[in-house]
Amino acid sequence: MTHKELLLQRSAWMAETDSPVVISSRVRLARNLEDFPFPHVLGPEGAGQVEHLVSQVLTDIEGNIGRLRYMSLTELNSIERQVLIEKHLISPSLGGSIGARGVALATDHRFAVMVNEEDHVRIQVLLPGNQLLETHRLAMELDDALEAKLDFAYRESQGYLTACPTNVGTGLRASVMVHLPGLSIMKQAQQVLGALTRLGLAVRGLYGEGSQAFGHMFQVSNQITLGKSEEDILTHLDAVTGQIVEHELQARKLLQDQMPMLLEDKVWRARGTLQNARLLSSEDAMHLLSHDRLGSDLGLLSKIKDSFTSLIVDTRPGCLQNILDRELDPSQRDEERARLIRGAMREA
Amino acid sequence: MLCQHCQQQEAIVHLSITENEKKREVYLCEPCAKKNQEIGFVFHPAIVPEFLKALFGFNPALLKQPSEMTCPKCGISFSKITEVGKLGCSACYETFETQLEPLLRRVHGGGQNVGKVPARRGIAIKSRMELRKLKEKLQHLIQQEAFEEAAVVRDMIRQLEQSKGEENHDS
Repeated sequence: MTHKELLLQRSAWMAETDSPVVISSRVRLARNLEDFPFPHVLGPEGAGQVEHLVSQVLTDIEGNIGRLRYMSLTELNSIERQVLIEKHLISPSLGGSIGARGVALATDHRFAVMVNEEDHVRIQVLLPGNQLLETHRLAMELDDALEAKLDFAYRESQGYLTACPTNVGTGLRASVMVHLPGLSIMKQAQQVLGALTRLGLAVRGLYGEGSQAFGHMFQVSNQITLGKSEEDILTHLDAVTGQIVEHELQARKLLQDQMPMLLEDKVWRARGTLQNARLLSSEDAMHLLSHDRLGSDLGLLSKIKDSFTSLIVDTRPGCLQNILDRELDPSQRDEERARLIRGAMREA
Repeated sequence: MLCQHCQQQEAIVHLSITENEKKREVYLCEPCAKKNQEIGFVFHPAIVPEFLKALFGFNPALLKQPSEMTCPKCGISFSKITEVGKLGCSACYETFETQLEPLLRRVHGGGQNVGKVPARRGIAIKSRMELRKLKEKLQHLIQQEAFEEAAVVRDMIRQLEQSKGEENHDS
C-alpha cells in the first residue's frame, strides 16, 4: 500500500454509530525516551536517532494491534500532511514542522502514533461513537508493546515525564467529540459547556484551537493528568459526557415540541441546499451537514449513505484535493465540494 | 465602540467570523454576545507557553531563583524553560523540582502520581504505590469510623509490608 492509498483509507473513527451525540472517542498518551532530551532541544542528529529507534519498534509490532506503517514527514507533500491533520491523525504543529518526525498509522487509522512531536512518542487511538474505555484499553495495549522494548522516562512521584508539565503523570488526554446542534440552536451550548471548565475539563471546536465550533462539533477533554489514575480520569469524562448527551437530547426534544416548524424548516433547508448548491465553502458545508444530520437523527429526513463525519472531513480542503488527486484553488474547491456533497445526497 | 447589535452598550466581545472564506468582524456587548451564541461561540484556549509563563511568573519567589541554573543532563536553563514553556529532558524534573512544585500544584491540584507504572521496571514502585493508596484508604476509613473495613485494610497493609520485607531479605 502506498502512502497515498493509506491516507485514502476510511478512518475507523468516522463510521456512523447508533450514538446520536458522541461522534468519536480518542485517547492520547505522551511518552518520552529516558536517554534523550525532549524533541525541542534534540538536535537533528538526536532527532534522527529517536525517529529510527521508535519507528523500528512501532513497525515491528505484531498481534492484536496489527501492522503499523511509518511515514516520515519528509516523505509527504503539503496536501498529504493536511489530510493527516484534517483526519486528526497528527497535530497541526507536527504537520507544519520539518526534520526527523512522522507518524505510524494502522490501516484503519485507529492507531496513529506521532514521533518527535512535543514528546518523543504520542500514542493516539481513535474510535467511533462513545467508546472511551475501549479506546483506552487499546492505547494501553500499544503502550505495553512499546514499553517492552523502550525505556520511557518515569519518576515514581511524577509518573511519565513530558516536555510540557501540563501532561506529566499519566500523560493521558482523553476526549470525546460531540455533536450539539440542539443546544446550539436553543442557544444553550455555551451555558452547558461553560460549566465543564469548572469540572477540570477543556472544550474546543472541532478544527483548530481558537476556532469557532464549526458544524456544532465540540471536543471535550480532561485537563488534569497528575494525581488521578487513568481510571478516574476516564470515569469522570465518561460521566460528564453522559450528562452532555442528556442535555443535547433534551434540547432536541424541546425543539421538536416547541418549535417544530422552525426545526423542520432548518433541516429541510439544509437538505435542499446540500442537494442543489453549486458552490459550498467548508464552513457552510459543515453548518448545513450539521442541520442535515440533526434532521435525519430525528427522523425528519431520510438517512444519507455516507457518514456525517466522513462528509465533513472529506470536504475539508486537504482531503478534497487528495481525493480528486489535484491541486485546487479556493473557488475550485467550493465547486468540487458542492459536487461531492450533491453526489452523496443523491443517494439519500 | 458601541455594540453593533443593540447600538446601546459598550462592545466588549470581538468576533472574527469567516463565511464563504471572507472574514468579517463583529463587536458586541455582553448581553448581545450571549444571545448570539450559535454564531459566535468563542474559545479562549490558553496558549500553553504563555500560560506557563504566567504560572511561573505568578510566584514572585521563583523569579528570584538564579536564572543561570542549568540542567546537568541537557544544559537547559530555568529561564529558558519559562520562556518556551517546556522542560529540556526527563532529568529537568529533578533538577528544577523546587521551582516546578508550585506550578504542578497549580496545574494539577497537587496530587502525587497514582497512574500507570511501567511494567518492566516498576514492580517495587507498584507495591509502594499500592501501599500508599491503602494507607490513605485506612485514614479515610478511620475518619469515617468504619472500623471493621479499616481492620481489613490494615491487615492488607501488614501483609504487603511483610512481603516487601521478605523480598528485601531475599535480595
